[in-house]
Amino acid sequence: MEINEVFKPSKVEEAIKLLDHYQETSKIIAGGTDLIISLREGKESASVIIDISSIKELKEITKREDWIEIGAGVTFTKVVNATMLQEKYKGLIDAAASVGSPQIRNAATVGGNICNASPAADFIPPLLALEAVLVIAGSNGIREIKLNDFITDKGKVALSKNELLVKVKFKELKRNQGLGFNKLGLRKALAISRICTSVYLEISEDSKCRDMRIANGSLGRHGLREKVVENYFKGKPLTSETIEIGSQLLEEEVNNRLQGRSSAEFKREAVKGVFTVALNKAIENSRL
Amino acid sequence: MKKIALNINGEEYVVDINEDMRLIDLLRDKLHFTGTKEGCGEGECGACTVIMDGETVNSCMVLAFQAEGREIITIEGVGNGEALHPIQKAFLEEGAVQCGFCIPGMVLSAKALLDKKPAPTRNEIREGISGNLCRCTGYNKIVDAIDKASKYLKEEGETK
Repeated sequence: MEINEVFKPSKVEEAIKLLDHYQETSKIIAGGTDLIISLREGKESASVIIDISSIKELKEITKREDWIEIGAGVTFTKVVNATMLQEKYKGLIDAAASVGSPQIRNAATVGGNICNASPAADFIPPLLALEAVLVIAGSNGIREIKLNDFITDKGKVALSKNELLVKVKFKELKRNQGLGFNKLGLRKALAISRICTSVYLEISEDSKCRDMRIANGSLGRHGLREKVVENYFKGKPLTSETIEIGSQLLEEEVNNRLQGRSSAEFKREAVKGVFTVALNKAIENSRL
Repeated sequence: MKKIALNINGEEYVVDINEDMRLIDLLRDKLHFTGTKEGCGEGECGACTVIMDGETVNSCMVLAFQAEGREIITIEGVGNGEALHPIQKAFLEEGAVQCGFCIPGMVLSAKALLDKKPAPTRNEIREGISGNLCRCTGYNKIVDAIDKASKYLKEEGETK
């Protein structure tokens, strides 16, 4: 670790100025739970470190019109305890609560989880299912981009060297809409997800699926949507038969995607159960 | 080099740090708070746990400069130097300590939990220490000890 200079800006504009000045030589740190390890292992290098964990405006969870906005510097502990997110956003809270350990959730941030774009990031699938939009600040002003377009590959995101992720936002859930999350890890705490699935669901007046968005983690090079399965469910009633057929479609998708990997055999089987639980949670949640 | 000010166990410190120093390096090597242990160095074991502004963090995953202006509690700041803290007393009585390497972190996780939730269930205790590995005890005696400590702290509160 050869770090020559460190900064602790208290405003987004200051952070942008620093990024603009130092460009590739600099790295942003917030919780540090991924960055410090990769710096020490030599997987990443930076001579300048910019700590954004003192920027207050990045640490807020707010409601603006019909959008919920979560600051990039919000820790997972804060998500779990957020009054605004209780009950209706249990899917998000479950995802936040499944990250790492208490110590890691106290430090690690929503923005870090998104920008590191790990295939196993626990918070990305529920945000993809919510069709989240990212707000990014740069020296040329503010821009917005869909999370789905932001993640371009494993660990790769559409963020320039002089830009900073400010917040992630999504449309408020209505009465007939629900979100579910489920994760398969090797143990309860500190488990990197082997499969994590989030389902967004909108139910029509005649109790059919009007819209569904399924997003998976650890089943591809990055968190991704399962459009084939989503399309199958649209307009159909949610019965044990349709859920069974939908799960089998998901199995085929996962099997094709993971071909040649040693984990394919267990994952294609396990994903059905993980998905069914997430879907049932979403159904329950849509009644709140 | 950079100068930072921070509060450790109730005392103000102004120290010179290297930019690449982690909080654990500052605590152990520079200020000799050697009660904080380094185990895995990657956030899995929790041996380096300290309390920062009321919340536990792995001090191997915080850069020293990030601790500027923060309040840190290490295991040295838990008792008062003479009498044991009720959590420490309960750990000894319940036989919750074997090799002892994980105990500073374990006690701090227990303290952070009990500060927020004075009467946790056994499941909440397990969740509260889920970021701290112990390879000796099998955890049951540690959970017993934290349960007992919560009763001690309640009694202490009542007599005050």
